[in-house]
Amino acid sequence: MANEDMLQPARRQFALSGLALGAAALLPAAAAGQTSPPAPAQGASPVVQAGLSPRLTVHAIDIYSGSAGAGLRIDFSKKEGDSYKLVRTVITNGTGRSDEPLLIGESYQAGDYELLLHMDEYFARKEAKLPAPPFLSKVPVRIRISDITQRIHLPIQFGPWSYTYSRGS
Amino acid sequence: MTGITTHLLDIATGRPLADVQVELYDVATDPPTLLNKVRTNPDGRTDAPMLPAASARTGQFELRFHVGEYFKSAEALSDVVPVRFAVFDAAQHYHVPMLCAPWFFSTYRGS
Repeated sequence: MANEDMLQPARRQFALSGLALGAAALLPAAAAGQTSPPAPAQGASPVVQAGLSPRLTVHAIDIYSGSAGAGLRIDFSKKEGDSYKLVRTVITNGTGRSDEPLLIGESYQAGDYELLLHMDEYFARKEAKLPAPPFLSKVPVRIRISDITQRIHLPIQFGPWSYTYSRGS
Repeated sequence: MTGITTHLLDIATGRPLADVQVELYDVATDPPTLLNKVRTNPDGRTDAPMLPAASARTGQFELRFHVGEYFKSAEALSDVVPVRFAVFDAAQHYHVPMLCAPWFFSTYRGS
């Protein structure tokens, strides 16, 4: 239930974007293959998560395009011994979030975790003009969860030459 | 100037992070090869470049900032912060700073 509360506004917005696109496709001007303007931050509207149960959520924001970081592949791993073991791979949805929290309930355990961001394939898809190899390719973001009674939201703003992550809310 | 340099700054205090361990690895090898391991000076920089100009080359590198020992906060979001990047032109200088607080970490290609 809490999950739905979190995702519903985003889903609604995403669905509306889809409708808008569908309507545009019916118009001759749009069908003529006009170059689309830079993507607005559609689908990146604030999602209130206050009061939700402990969990780890991520939100990727593309500061190169000024939009949600949609379609970003993230390998999510947990540190075991000296190495990081893959938990699962997620692709961010149209809002730049993963469909489900990375960790929730029983899976929300203290420990060291890594999110490996596949920024090279993301910006290749955006056809960004970058050197080869690009400055940032597979970017590891390593975080520690120490208090499992507290929810952690992890916004990541990323571009081809910089990235920032922080504890959000 | 060529090679790799860094600068570690605490955005909560507006001060440099002094005496923090920073390492540079070659991550093209498996396991990564430690190239340099130093502590930041009072200005938050390293006395010598992490990768000196004489050793400048293309490749995949990773800086690791041991900020956990500095923040000493049980709730800090990260302990050792890696920044993995490519040097695609050895003739260029790569300045890769880290601006941070216990709950915020930011890096970019600087100059």
